[in-house]
Amino acid sequence: MRNDKFYKRLFEIIPGLLTWTTLITLFALAFVRPVWVAIFVITFDLYWVIRVCYLTTLLVFAYRRMEKEKKIDWIGQCNNIQKVNGIEYNSIYQAILFPAYKEGPDILTASISALEKANYPKERMTVVLSIEERAGQEVWDNAVLLKDKYKDVFLGFLVTRHPDNIPGEVKVKGANASWGARALKDYLDSKNIGYENVIISCFDADTCVEKEYFGCLTYHYLVNPDRTRSSYQPIPVYNNNIWHARSIARILELGSSFMQMIETMRLEKFVTFSSHSMSFKTLVDVGYWPVDMISDDSVIYWKCFLYFDGDYSVIPLYVTVSMDVATAKGIVPTIIKQYKQKRRWAWGVENFPYVMMGFMDNKKIPLIKKIRRAFNILESHYTWAIWAIIITFIAPLPLIFGGGLFRQTAIGYNLPSVSAALFRVSLFTIFVCIFITIRLLPPRPKDVKPEKRLIMIIQWFFAPLFVAVLGSTPAVDAQTRLMLGKYMQFYVTEKTRKK
Amino acid sequence: MKKSDRLKRMVAFYLSVVLFFVTLPILLSYSLGYHIDYNALKVYKTGILYINSHPAGASVYVNGKLHPSLTPTQVEELKPGNYRVEVRREDFYPWERELAVRPNMVTKADRIVLFPVTQDVKKVGNRETFNFVAYDKNNIYYMNGKGLFKSSIDGTVSSRISRYSNWPDRIIAKKFSPDSDKFLYYTERAISVVYLDLDKTLYGKGSDAARVEEVMTTTEPIRDVFWYSGSGYIIVITESDIKVVELRGGEKRNIITLYKFNKRPQGLFYDRSADSLYFTDISKDSGKSHLYRLDLRQTFLDSLKQFLMKKEDETQDEKR
Repeated sequence: MRNDKFYKRLFEIIPGLLTWTTLITLFALAFVRPVWVAIFVITFDLYWVIRVCYLTTLLVFAYRRMEKEKKIDWIGQCNNIQKVNGIEYNSIYQAILFPAYKEGPDILTASISALEKANYPKERMTVVLSIEERAGQEVWDNAVLLKDKYKDVFLGFLVTRHPDNIPGEVKVKGANASWGARALKDYLDSKNIGYENVIISCFDADTCVEKEYFGCLTYHYLVNPDRTRSSYQPIPVYNNNIWHARSIARILELGSSFMQMIETMRLEKFVTFSSHSMSFKTLVDVGYWPVDMISDDSVIYWKCFLYFDGDYSVIPLYVTVSMDVATAKGIVPTIIKQYKQKRRWAWGVENFPYVMMGFMDNKKIPLIKKIRRAFNILESHYTWAIWAIIITFIAPLPLIFGGGLFRQTAIGYNLPSVSAALFRVSLFTIFVCIFITIRLLPPRPKDVKPEKRLIMIIQWFFAPLFVAVLGSTPAVDAQTRLMLGKYMQFYVTEKTRKK
Repeated sequence: MKKSDRLKRMVAFYLSVVLFFVTLPILLSYSLGYHIDYNALKVYKTGILYINSHPAGASVYVNGKLHPSLTPTQVEELKPGNYRVEVRREDFYPWERELAVRPNMVTKADRIVLFPVTQDVKKVGNRETFNFVAYDKNNIYYMNGKGLFKSSIDGTVSSRISRYSNWPDRIIAKKFSPDSDKFLYYTERAISVVYLDLDKTLYGKGSDAARVEEVMTTTEPIRDVFWYSGSGYIIVITESDIKVVELRGGEKRNIITLYKFNKRPQGLFYDRSADSLYFTDISKDSGKSHLYRLDLRQTFLDSLKQFLMKKEDETQDEKR
């Protein structure tokens, strides 16, 4: 009989063990075999520069695609095709689920107001606000007020309270989302609406959709013959408070947006992230979001992937959903906030044991597919945890600890200049980032001085510094916790906007 | 993802892979000091010469051939062996040396100082000077037949601070005290101390701002003199012994002999931070020369204590 507990722990340990083995080995070798480390560092630097250039190229492709698709009248497209693959545009309903905790009414009002402005017929849109019971009466009262305000705008406006301490659940967003989705199921049943005709979008409380979002989503849903075997992923941007956020937070969040744009070009690795949409039928079939894992946004994808024996994909939508930059008033609180948020994202490494256990159970997924997908998860988290540390901290170690003899060798002499030259090559990507940043920026609010546009450009030249601090450390932290069995609690990133 | 995007991505991906595998061997061979001869398809081990000079901007000749860039510069891909390197700059004496280039190693000649051909010697002030002593970058003290003069380091501001003019001809060395308000100078058998910046109110109007006092004469030749850290004592090493001289006390000042050498010391070093004297001497037991350390702070205090106790005993004896 298989010892599941043993295997689960083994797969939890592997990512952290790989990371720490790499870092400790490189550190130790810097003392005894500095030439080896120098060769590794130059090889890694070259790999990284070429990778950055390659990813920047993909970013440009994605951006061009986004610009192209921005001009499309998606609702018009939906009207044109009407019935396709056995389903009619007019029968498609949108369900928008906001699992909320302590987000204030200003945050939720902005998000719901964006839904109201969307050009999708409101009589086919239902909003679900699922409020954590532990958030308190005030949050609940605010939710009820919102319902009163918007109930006549949409087909339905449900407000539900997710109780604490349901057996099998832990305090994670997925548990609240699943609770809200169950409430929606009851509502749809009462209205006799088929699940396949409903697209559910699970949004963070601060998510503001752009006008064309539901048109674009519906079009892709209609034309996709495997519509229930796909999730639909928009591009997350962090425009809500970007003009008022700290530079370090802006850079890191813009980096996340860019990474998500790049991922749309690598579909074999593409996994749902943050706010996303899917068929409600699929969600019901797979048993909703996980109620005991932090990274619900990506785990739901893997849950579907395993449920459909590997026949599940993510369709990129080149429309944006806008969220808040995790920022604070001071630089240190901002760094802490960003660190915690990135650590939560890096906790996505918990997908690895989940997927591996699923692969062991599922005999229908081809082995090669299992190997490829497992490698993708492991490689992405492993690279995330080591790259900034290698480039920033390991690279100079041979020169510091290698001794005088090493410094007299040609490689000891050339290491700094070769690394610096490679770094300079990678700097050109900053100009691409600046260009796309400017194009993605929302209009400047009236209370922001025009000079801030200049800061939006200059900030990118500090990106290497910010990345050195927050590039890899949150991932090492998350992997170490998982390796040691010290499981993380869900940390809700506090959303603050300038009034 | 559209087909066109997929195609573009594939092209970008395979280009990146090819670029990596083509660039890596070139980059590593360059970094490790290998030279690839693409015509002969051979790989050679080479070394690097790194040349820097002060002042920079000098021409470098390797085996008589001019290197294209000026110092600081590096000459790469040199086959192992000896190279005659010349560093030249107009108006400076050239530097020349044979340097060995080793495989995969860097030979550094980065502390080359080029001295100018025309020496810039300028007269500092116009005052006749027999001897002088300088402290830090602030002042110069001139000794001449008219007294002791003080001026700024460039000799522009000058004033007489003492009329004392009986300077010995052969001053061996001059040393400022740690508190910098006096300096000593010594000849073969005499030590004098010059007290600077005196409070004139103590010595009356028109008195000198500096005072010269001979503190000790010896029968044995003086080897060296050191300031004790507190500036109130000086350590005198003669050919035969080590003495401590207290500056206060005028002619009745305390002079203690701390140690008698068995043989004239060959080496001497005074560590002022620990007030310790290192010296060589012959061991009475083995007859061999050894290095000794004398903790003067401790020894001196003990000796002073004994000396004072002895004096007290003598006074009490006299009273009785």
